[in-house]
Amino acid sequence: MTLQARLDAFKASFESGAPPFNVPRSAIEIMHRATKELRRSGQAERALGMGARAPAFALPNQDGKIISAEDLLASGPLVISFFRGHW
Amino acid sequence: MMELEALQAVLPQIRDLGASLVAISPQRPTYGRAVRRRAALEFDVLSDEGLKVAKAFGLVFTLPSYLEELYRSFGKTLDKYHGEPAYRLPLPARYVVDRRRQIRGADVNADYTVRPDPEETLAHLRGLLPNAERERPKPTMRM
Repeated sequence: MTLQARLDAFKASFESGAPPFNVPRSAIEIMHRATKELRRSGQAERALGMGARAPAFALPNQDGKIISAEDLLASGPLVISFFRGHW
Repeated sequence: MMELEALQAVLPQIRDLGASLVAISPQRPTYGRAVRRRAALEFDVLSDEGLKVAKAFGLVFTLPSYLEELYRSFGKTLDKYHGEPAYRLPLPARYVVDRRRQIRGADVNADYTVRPDPEETLAHLRGLLPNAERERPKPTMRM
């Protein structure tokens, strides 16, 4: 199953209102409203895109060790996945 | 999480293409450890506290108060996860950056339930290969 198929299946289950999530309809509507507003804001289109120069960074990893883009790029291309969190 | 699991599944291919992979979230490192354990990730999960890096990519947004309220009611206490009072998040984004720091693949979406397949990322990385080949010319094969 592709990633998008899995995301779609999760979304359908989450938004069904049934167990295990038991999310009320009102909560789903609030989340839909927020996503719609964020989409309309056009921010995704304004974010850095193809051809732009990626900012350099140095951030702690899960163990507190500093990882820098510079070091990673010294050995080859870099894939970066920005995500919300563990929740 | 689902996206990170899908990226983990292609991590060997990413490495075969000479590339590396990191995930970045605004969460404190302890949650990065939790994510890696739960999803059995073998790549680093970086902690962008204060969202400075996400901001440099143009990805940061503040949750509207009605959504913050809902998240709080669900026990999703972003202030605790992020170590800051503001409820801010990065837009979900996946980038492929070449060695000169140029962005060669970008997928940013306001809807976190719509994400590109890892195969697209592998295709971007394969697209970078011909340059690498030119840098290290191989002897031509004679028939």
